[in-house]
Amino acid sequence: MLKLIKYEFMRKDKVIMVFIISLIINLFMVLKLQTEGSAMFIGLFPLISMTLYIVDIISMYSRDLNNKSGYMLFMTPNSGYKIIVSKLITAILEGLFILLFYFIIILINGIYMGSFYNINYNEVINFINMILSGYFRFNLGHVFVFLITALVFILNFILSAYTAITIRKSIFSEIKFAGFLSFIIFIAINWFTSFTAKKLIPMLNPYFESLTQVQGSLTATQLVYVFLPLMIVLIIQCAIMTVASGYLLEKKINL
Amino acid sequence: MSSVLSINNLAKKYYNKTALENINLNFEKGKIYGLIGPNGSGKTTLMKVIAGLHKQTSGEVLINNIPASHKTKANLSYMPTDDFLYDSFKVKQILKFYSDMYADFNYGNALNILGDIGIDTEFRVSKLSSGLKGKLKVTLALSRNTDIYMLDEPLNGVDVLSRDTIIDLIVKSYNDSKTFIISSHLVNEIEKIFDYVIFLKDGFVELTGDAENLRQKHEMSIENLYKEVYR
Repeated sequence: MLKLIKYEFMRKDKVIMVFIISLIINLFMVLKLQTEGSAMFIGLFPLISMTLYIVDIISMYSRDLNNKSGYMLFMTPNSGYKIIVSKLITAILEGLFILLFYFIIILINGIYMGSFYNINYNEVINFINMILSGYFRFNLGHVFVFLITALVFILNFILSAYTAITIRKSIFSEIKFAGFLSFIIFIAINWFTSFTAKKLIPMLNPYFESLTQVQGSLTATQLVYVFLPLMIVLIIQCAIMTVASGYLLEKKINL
Repeated sequence: MSSVLSINNLAKKYYNKTALENINLNFEKGKIYGLIGPNGSGKTTLMKVIAGLHKQTSGEVLINNIPASHKTKANLSYMPTDDFLYDSFKVKQILKFYSDMYADFNYGNALNILGDIGIDTEFRVSKLSSGLKGKLKVTLALSRNTDIYMLDEPLNGVDVLSRDTIIDLIVKSYNDSKTFIISSHLVNEIEKIFDYVIFLKDGFVELTGDAENLRQKHEMSIENLYKEVYR
């Protein structure tokens, strides 16, 4: 598994180029526009990097199933399940690297700006303490629950794309308009997953509806109550899609 | 003689098109099999089914009496005819990939062969000529120590001198514990190494037999027999 993940990363030379280009753009914006440039970069980076990340993760899987270079991977004595799980772990790690890169950029920009504005670091520490203590009616617990839900949601989205591509290359491998068909399957899977989520979430948590109608902000515990059923449904869907894709890769694939 | 590979009632269909039909073949240890036929006869499809890259519609493929799966890929070294190597990798990274993925890959042997045929491991795959790519693919397939070697058109896109090099590599790698299945259009150049020949036509086995027996029976070379069969 580790070897598969290693070679997945070795094939991501273009992603490293994106990191380097991002650094250069950030440097240019900070030096040219200073605070405004930094704020612009920090505001835009999550949106652009998220789009590029999703495109990279899905297109790499699509290339493996649609291009001859996929033979390199599928000729090896690794099961379909192992291949799909290694791709998911690679996707998670890549997402975490992008997040880490983003925080490092914020830190570097903050330190650089601090040298101009004589920032009082005690105030910064106090501000962080206020966040931790829940002064702003949210704390690290909220952030953690939100991040985990976001991660599971992104994985669910990626897996729905993987499943659509896998179905196209197995059950419907010799049908015309393959790309269009993949897209239709992708839409159908997403409709089905949201439909099952709507039906299952109230069953898993009878208080879900009342919690979502609470006025004002929710406590971290209440937020967990809201997100937990959603997470459970998303995780179940992820597990089903992983097993289904692994089975099709193992038993029905036509490369 | 024991079969290392058995194909029973194999069929592969793509909706309204039949790629393979009623294929029954047994491959024995220590022989070199020539799989021949014109374009579209089903050679590549058959190899891909054996290699587990395509799934058959019906029938079975047994490798050492085990149904073909990801596990049997460890006992089979397959060289597709397509450009399948990662273009962005250097040759040394491709060698490392094979070494990491296949327990039977002989890294030192691969390095020696590449040295002999003049491929620098620092070269990037995308920069290699089609001839060098062909030699690299053959080197990778033959540097594994396995039961079955399956080479799909190893002489395709390769100049005359390089063809001799590739045939030499195959002959040097051969021993009586290994089975080779080689497909080729260039029958005259490679027929001398075939022990057994399988003629495929429109997805069916048209003719099979011991290469020498076929030559004697039809009083012609395998190449001329090929022309006769597909006329």
